[in-house]
Amino acid sequence: MSKIETIQLEPTISTNSYHVQPAGLVEEKKLALPLWREYQRILFRVAFLFFISLSIPNSVEWYRQLIALDWTSLHYRDLYDIARFGSGINFFGNTIFGNPLLGYANWVITLGISIAGGLVWTFIVKKRGTERKEYNTLYYWLRVVVRYRAGIGIIGFGFTKLLPTQLPYPSLGILNTNFGDLTAQKIYWLSVGIVPWYEIFAGVVEVMAGALLFFRRTTTLGAILLFGALADIVYVNFAYDGGVHVYSSYFVLLAAFLLVNDIPDIYRLLVQERYTVPLNYYPAFNRPWQKYARLTLKSATIFLFLVVLFYLQVVNFLYDPYKQPAVAGVKNLRGNYAVTEFKINNQSIPYSPLDTLRWQEATFENWSTLTFRVNKPTPLDLSNGGGDPQRDVNRTFEVSGVAGGQRVFHYYADEISKMLYLEDKYKAVPDRRNITAGAGGDGGTEINLNSPDNTQRKNLRRTNNPSRQQESWIPQAALANVGDEVNKIAPLAMTTRRIREYAKAPKNEERNRMILNYETTDGNRVILTGINEHKDSIYVVLDRINRNYSLKPSSLQAGKY
Amino acid sequence: MSAFIDNKTSSWTEPEKFLFRLFALYFFVQALPLDAHFFSQLFSLAQHNLYYNDIFQLTHYSPKFFAGADSLANWGLVLLIALIGAGVWSFIDRSSKEYTKLYYWIRVIVRYRLALGIIAYGFIKFFPIQSPWPSLSNLNTNYGDFNRWKLFSLSLGIVPNYQSFLGLVEIITGLLLLFRKTATIGAFIIVIFTGNVFMSNLAYEGGEYVYSLYLISFALFLLVFDLQRIIRLLILQKATSPNGFKPALTLKWQRYTRLTLKSLIIFFFVIVYGFKTQSGLKKGLTLYPNTKGLPGAAGLYNVATFRINSTKIPYSKTDPIRWQDVIFEKWNTISIKSNRPVILDTSNTTLISTDDQERLYEQQGSAGRHYYSYNLDTITHTLRLQNRNKNYKNESWSLHYESLAGKGFILSGLNQNKDSVYAVLNKIDKKYLVKEAAKLGRRRGLTL
Repeated sequence: MSKIETIQLEPTISTNSYHVQPAGLVEEKKLALPLWREYQRILFRVAFLFFISLSIPNSVEWYRQLIALDWTSLHYRDLYDIARFGSGINFFGNTIFGNPLLGYANWVITLGISIAGGLVWTFIVKKRGTERKEYNTLYYWLRVVVRYRAGIGIIGFGFTKLLPTQLPYPSLGILNTNFGDLTAQKIYWLSVGIVPWYEIFAGVVEVMAGALLFFRRTTTLGAILLFGALADIVYVNFAYDGGVHVYSSYFVLLAAFLLVNDIPDIYRLLVQERYTVPLNYYPAFNRPWQKYARLTLKSATIFLFLVVLFYLQVVNFLYDPYKQPAVAGVKNLRGNYAVTEFKINNQSIPYSPLDTLRWQEATFENWSTLTFRVNKPTPLDLSNGGGDPQRDVNRTFEVSGVAGGQRVFHYYADEISKMLYLEDKYKAVPDRRNITAGAGGDGGTEINLNSPDNTQRKNLRRTNNPSRQQESWIPQAALANVGDEVNKIAPLAMTTRRIREYAKAPKNEERNRMILNYETTDGNRVILTGINEHKDSIYVVLDRINRNYSLKPSSLQAGKY
Repeated sequence: MSAFIDNKTSSWTEPEKFLFRLFALYFFVQALPLDAHFFSQLFSLAQHNLYYNDIFQLTHYSPKFFAGADSLANWGLVLLIALIGAGVWSFIDRSSKEYTKLYYWIRVIVRYRLALGIIAYGFIKFFPIQSPWPSLSNLNTNYGDFNRWKLFSLSLGIVPNYQSFLGLVEIITGLLLLFRKTATIGAFIIVIFTGNVFMSNLAYEGGEYVYSLYLISFALFLLVFDLQRIIRLLILQKATSPNGFKPALTLKWQRYTRLTLKSLIIFFFVIVYGFKTQSGLKKGLTLYPNTKGLPGAAGLYNVATFRINSTKIPYSKTDPIRWQDVIFEKWNTISIKSNRPVILDTSNTTLISTDDQERLYEQQGSAGRHYYSYNLDTITHTLRLQNRNKNYKNESWSLHYESLAGKGFILSGLNQNKDSVYAVLNKIDKKYLVKEAAKLGRRRGLTL
C-alpha cells in the first residue's frame, strides 16, 4: 500500500550527527491511514475473491467427513484431514485445455474467475455509486482468514514431523535394499526418516510458524518462517518428484500474501535507512459479544489444533504410526534370515543370484510383514506410500518406491496352528488416498484418480482375473485363532475411524496371497511350508543372520511391537 | 546494548563499552587469519596452478590452537584472549565515550569474513561438487550399509538441480553481506539457512558442525545491530528510526582504497573462484578419482565362477570369502561385494584433493563392499590393487585380467592372504529404479 508517501515525519540524517524523533511523539499523533488508489481497490477485490476461494475446502468429501466425525473418539487423522484440504474453484475442472499445468491449473482458473469477479464487483459498485474509499476492515478480515488457513494447515503437517511419523525410519526390508533400487522420492523421505531428532526440529519449525500466525504481532515472523521453510519444500518436491509441490506452493503463496504488507516497511528501514512508521489497521472490538466471540474462536482453534492434535499425534506415534503398520508381528520370527534351502513343487533350487524363482533373503519386520527378495521383475508401487489407510495391509511405505526384487506381504498369524495368511501389499490399482483433500490438496497420484486410462485398466483387471479373488480365503477355524485385526491395537489408539474403515474393507480384493505354515523353536531356524502366490508348493528353510548395519538406529522409535 | 541499536553518538555506559571491547576483540581474532598455517597455505598457492580448492581452503579458515578436529575449545581460548584484551583496553582507554565508528569497522570485517565463507560453500554446491551423483558401487550397496553422513550426501547427490539451487541461495546471501544496506537481510537468511545446515550436521554427524556454528555466530553478531529495530518495527509495530551512521570517507585516497579492496575481494573470491570451480568440475576435480579405469570395463558383474586355491565355492551370500559381485567404476576403482565385514572409514569432511589417493569419498561411510584402486598395466594385463579403506592400508595385491569380448572378464592372481583367486565375471545390464523412475515419472506403472 502506498503509505510511504504520506509520512512527513522523517528525521534528518547527516554523516556524523543524528537526530531521532522521540518515539512517544510519533505515537501520540494519530496517523491517518493512507488512501486507497483506484488500482489498489480493484486489486484488492481480485485478491479478496482469489484468497477466499483458496481458503475454502473444495471437495464434497471434506464436508461429508466433517459431519460424520465422531468427536468422542478422535484419531489424529480426523483433525489432520480438517487441516489439510484442497481449495480453489474447481467447478470447471482442474485442467486448462486438458493441461493440468503440473497441477497449478486450478490456481490459474481460480485467478481468472477472481479477476472477472473483481471487475464485475468494480462495475456494480461504480454503477450504483456505492464504491468505498478504502477496504481497511475487509483487508484485515481477509488477512485473518488467510492467517488461520495457513496456520492450521501447516500445523497439521508440522505435527506429523514433530512426532516423527511422516517420514518413517526405514524398515529392515528397506535397509536391505540397494540405494539404486529406490525412487528419488523414497530416498528423500528416508534421508529425513533416518534422523528422527532432525525431523522433530523440522516439525517444531513448522508448528511454530503456524502458531505465530495466530497472533497479529507475530504474523510477520510466522509468515517469513513459513515462506522460507515451504519454499525449500517446494523445491525438494520438484527435485525428488515428491508429488506435493502444489500443496507446499500453496503455503508459500499464502505466506507471500501475508508479507505484502511488511516488505515495503522492511525495505524502507533496512535498505533505504529511512524513518519508518508501520501502519496496521486493527478493527476495534468494543462490544462485549465481539470480544467474547473473538476470544472463544481463537482459544478453540488453538486448543483444537495445538493441544488436542498434539495429544492425538502422541498417541499415533506411540501405537499406530501413520505410514507404518500398527499390529505387532509374531515375536520369535522377527529379524533377518538367509534362505538356506528352497524347494518349489518338491524341486530343490540352489542359491544363484540369477535364478528367477528362488528366494534370496527374507525378513520378518517387527510388525506383521514378511519381505523376501526374488530376482524377477515385478510391477512396482511408485506412489509415495502415504495417505490415511487404517488397515495395515494398505500401509505401503515399506513397499512403495522399492525395487530390487523385493516382495512385501502383510500377514495374519494363527499362532495356535502356526499358520501365516499372507497378502501382497502391492496392488495394481491402489485405493484412493487422502480423499478429503480434493484438487490442489495432495489427493493422491494419477494412478488412483479416475483418468480414462486408469478406468480402463481397472475394468480389464476386474473382468480378467477372477482367480485372484478369493472369498474367505482364511478358513473359519483359523479366523477364530487369528482374531479380528481391528482390535489388535492399544485401547488408547482405538478410534471410530479405525472401526469404520475396517468394517468397510472390501471382501474380494485382488491381491496375491500365500498360506504358509511356520515351524521354529527359538527363531534361529524357521521352516516355511505351504502354497505361494503362484499356487506352487514351497518349502523354505530360513536361518537367522545378524546384520550389523552401519546406519546407527535412532533413540526414538515409533510404534509398540 | 541499547547503544548499539540507537546509534546515539552520545556516550555509552561502562558495561556497554566493555561488552563492545570484548566482542570486538573476540570477532577480530576469530575472523582475521593470524596463524602461520594460513600464511604458509597462502604462499604455497604461487607454487602450482591455482585450483578452486585452494581458495576454498583459504575461506575455510578459523583459528585453531589445539591439534585434532575443530572443536569449541578453540573458541574458548579466543574468548579468553578477548577477555584479557578487553580488560587491558578498559584500563588504558578511559577517554573514549563511544565506539560507533569502530563498531562499524568491526562489522565490516565480520561481514566480509562471513560472506567469503558462505560464498565458498555456495559455489561448490552451485556447481554440484560437494555431493556428487552416487558411484555405481554406492548404487549397489544396501541402504543400511551406509552411515548417516553418507546417506545425507548421497541423497543430495541424486538431485544436482536442488544442490545448485541451495548453492545459489548461499551465493546471493553472501553477496548481500558485501553491501552495508543489505547486510542485515543477508545475516538473517544465514541464521536460518546455516542454522539448518548446523542442525543437519548434528543429526547426520557431519564433520562441519563447529564451522557452521562459527558462521552462524558471525551472522548473529551482524544481526544484533538491527535486531531491536526489527523487533520494534515488526512485532511492536511502532515507528522506528534507521541506522544513522555512515562511514565518512571524505578523502580521495580513502575512497579509492575502499573501492580497490572491495573490487579485489569480489574479483578473487567471487569471479575467479566461481570460474575455477566451474572449470574444476569440468576437468574432473571432484570427490572421485580422475584416473581413467580399464577401458570399456565400467559396470556391474556377476561372479559366475569363483575358485580359491583351486577349490570352487558356489554362490553364497553368507560365505566370507566368496565374491558376490564386482563393480568396475569409470575411474580406476573396483569394488567387491562379499560377506567379509568392512571396518567403516568414518571420516567425513569435504576434502577435494588434487591427489587421487586422497579422494576417498566413494568408500567413506560405506560398508558392504571392499574398494580397491588399481594401477593398470595393459601390456601384462595386470591390475595392481590397493585397498582404499584406511583400515586396510596393507592390503595390496595383483590380479591378471583376461577380457571375454565385452561380456566380462576372468580375474586371477594372489590375494592379500597369498591365496590364489580365480573369478569369472559376467556383465549384468542392471536397471536402477532411481534412474528409471526419473525418466518415466512415478505416475505410470513400472516393472523392474
